[in-house]
Amino acid sequence: MSPTFASPPTWPWGVYVTPEPAETGITISEADFQKFREFFYRKTGIQFDSSKRYFVDKRLAERIEATGSGSFRGYFMLLRFQVNGEELQALTNLMTVNETYFFREEYQFQCLVDSLLPEIVARKIDRRPIRIWVMPSSSGEEPYSIAIYLLERWAGIHRWDVEIIASDIDTRILAQARQGLYSHRSVQYLPADYLQRYFKRRAEGYQICDDLRQSVEFTRVNLSERADTRSYRDFDVIFCRNLLIYFDDVSRKTATETFYDALKPGGFICLGHSESMSRSSSLYKVRKFPSAIVYQRPLEVS
Amino acid sequence: MKRVLIVDDAATVRLYHREILEAAHFAVEEAMNGIEGLEKALQSPFDLYLVDINMPKLDGYGFLRELRGQDLPQAPAIMISTEAESNDEQRAYVAGANLYLVKPVKPDRLLTQVRLLLGDTHP
Amino acid sequence: MGLIKTQPTVESVTEEVRKHPRDCAGLLAQLIDPNPTVRRWAARDLADCPDISAALVERLHQEADISVREVILTTLTGLGDATSVAGLVECLRSEDAARRNEAIEAMRQLPDAVAPIIRGLLADPDPDVRIFAVNILESLCHPEVERWLIEVIDRDPHVNVCGAAVDLLGEVGSGAARESLLRLKARFANEPYIRFAADLALGRLRDA
Ligand SMILES: C[S@@+](CC[C@H](N)C(=O)[O-])C[C@H]1O[C@@H](n2cnc3c(N)ncnc32)[C@H](O)[C@@H]1O
Repeated sequence: MSPTFASPPTWPWGVYVTPEPAETGITISEADFQKFREFFYRKTGIQFDSSKRYFVDKRLAERIEATGSGSFRGYFMLLRFQVNGEELQALTNLMTVNETYFFREEYQFQCLVDSLLPEIVARKIDRRPIRIWVMPSSSGEEPYSIAIYLLERWAGIHRWDVEIIASDIDTRILAQARQGLYSHRSVQYLPADYLQRYFKRRAEGYQICDDLRQSVEFTRVNLSERADTRSYRDFDVIFCRNLLIYFDDVSRKTATETFYDALKPGGFICLGHSESMSRSSSLYKVRKFPSAIVYQRPLEVS
Repeated sequence: MKRVLIVDDAATVRLYHREILEAAHFAVEEAMNGIEGLEKALQSPFDLYLVDINMPKLDGYGFLRELRGQDLPQAPAIMISTEAESNDEQRAYVAGANLYLVKPVKPDRLLTQVRLLLGDTHP
Repeated sequence: MGLIKTQPTVESVTEEVRKHPRDCAGLLAQLIDPNPTVRRWAARDLADCPDISAALVERLHQEADISVREVILTTLTGLGDATSVAGLVECLRSEDAARRNEAIEAMRQLPDAVAPIIRGLLADPDPDVRIFAVNILESLCHPEVERWLIEVIDRDPHVNVCGAAVDLLGEVGSGAARESLLRLKARFANEPYIRFAADLALGRLRDA
């Protein structure tokens, strides 16, 4: 199975906000919009209502121009029939905001400490460490946020060992994550006392303190490569946020099957807020907790 | 306003049922397979479910079985099938359907049945 | 207690997986191992073995564990040869809706292998199989999709087969579908759904 992303990825991951596209003079009719809306929903699970019309139209117009399709109809055929799905990937990237920062989608970390870990601990029959896999790690904001959350908001950390392993395909971004240097913008949602406890002021911004840097293991893994993921086993929780949405149907299905074997029975997967397992796999149970919907590998295979 | 969830993988069918129900003042949401349907129901339960049988990832039977096993306020479900075969009907009821209809459903028939299931006697 | 880091050890690798050497004969034997984890890994790794589709198809039909079936389907999708596709076609006739839908999803990924047999499926005596064949076209990346759909709405006597085809024509149809859509509407004049679907598709035709 070939990876969906050319490696290394060519577009700016990390701190990145989609810029407003320029005016193009391409028009998109109401019927076009409806047709696109249904297709995009089927493929990605993202639903645009009519209030998003302007936002969608502008981005479509930009891609119609960039691909030289000339009109919506030509462009739509490209999207629908392109075998490698590259254009759908480019468009999805434009339609979603790829900004990563500390405590982004904090409700999931809340769910981790309030619901997932208590359930995991209650079920545990050994004293082995609890294992968390952050895939993809990107530049490290997410695994470090989890580490901080565990230390600050989970009493169980005094009774249990926790291992956090964070992986990404991109070696440059991994180097950045290990270094742990972040901008003001990236840490803006962190409570001030956390910032003080876990960061050092640097000329360029803030650096994660050595203790925390030592406590997260960063590894290079291509999620679509069997040989890379084979030894990733026995995880209690996997965070896979904002990656599957850019995969095509087959890579997405393969990835969720890989996660199935990386998880212990009863283990959990957290996806990004605009992602749903309904586009990837039927192997997981949907679990609703007070702060989030999470997917679970069934405990017993009947 | 009563809320209805349409769970069907065919966009045109969803739209057809949506327009019929919205014209009769129901609030409608859509899901394109059983898993998405469950996610929506778990987020906020509906007053009625309109469920197709054949769908990718999780089919209509699986959806109903899961839905019925959840700790949620339960609501009536109509299973809509393309097949007129009787053992499908049997299976639909076993999975937790309250009514089994064969596609394509005529608008007035759909509305009558929906109102009956919701115990709504007003036209 | 607290955050720790351990070196990735071989210990975490489930032992059963290591029982057999990773050769093709060994993997085939593991395909019927009592442990589903072993079966999943075998089904995954068999992707690298030659002439394996027949054995995988056979296993697919017997396998009761959906997590193993899903991996077999992924591997068969990667192989995509005639044997794999023939095995998937058999699943379309299954009594079990989950098995049918798994096969439909897999076949959508195989335009080149499905193209030569799709007309046969669209002409199957069983209307359900014809509907599933139309469903396969939903995401199929093949230039003939529109032509096949037009043939369906021109000829198929079953309202639900035509209904499924019209749904897709709204997405992929061009001016070439217009006449057929109008004829279909006339043929099922008493079916509000067909009228609705045909009008929707007509409004969305590519060169309308
Ligand atoms: C949009 S970022 C997601 C970052 C973060 N999880 C978040 O939610 O903000 C996507 C990341 O996935 C990584 N990536 C892309 N393809 C991958 C693959 N096949 N295997 C592993 N990582 C991949 C990229 O290098 C990038 O860091």
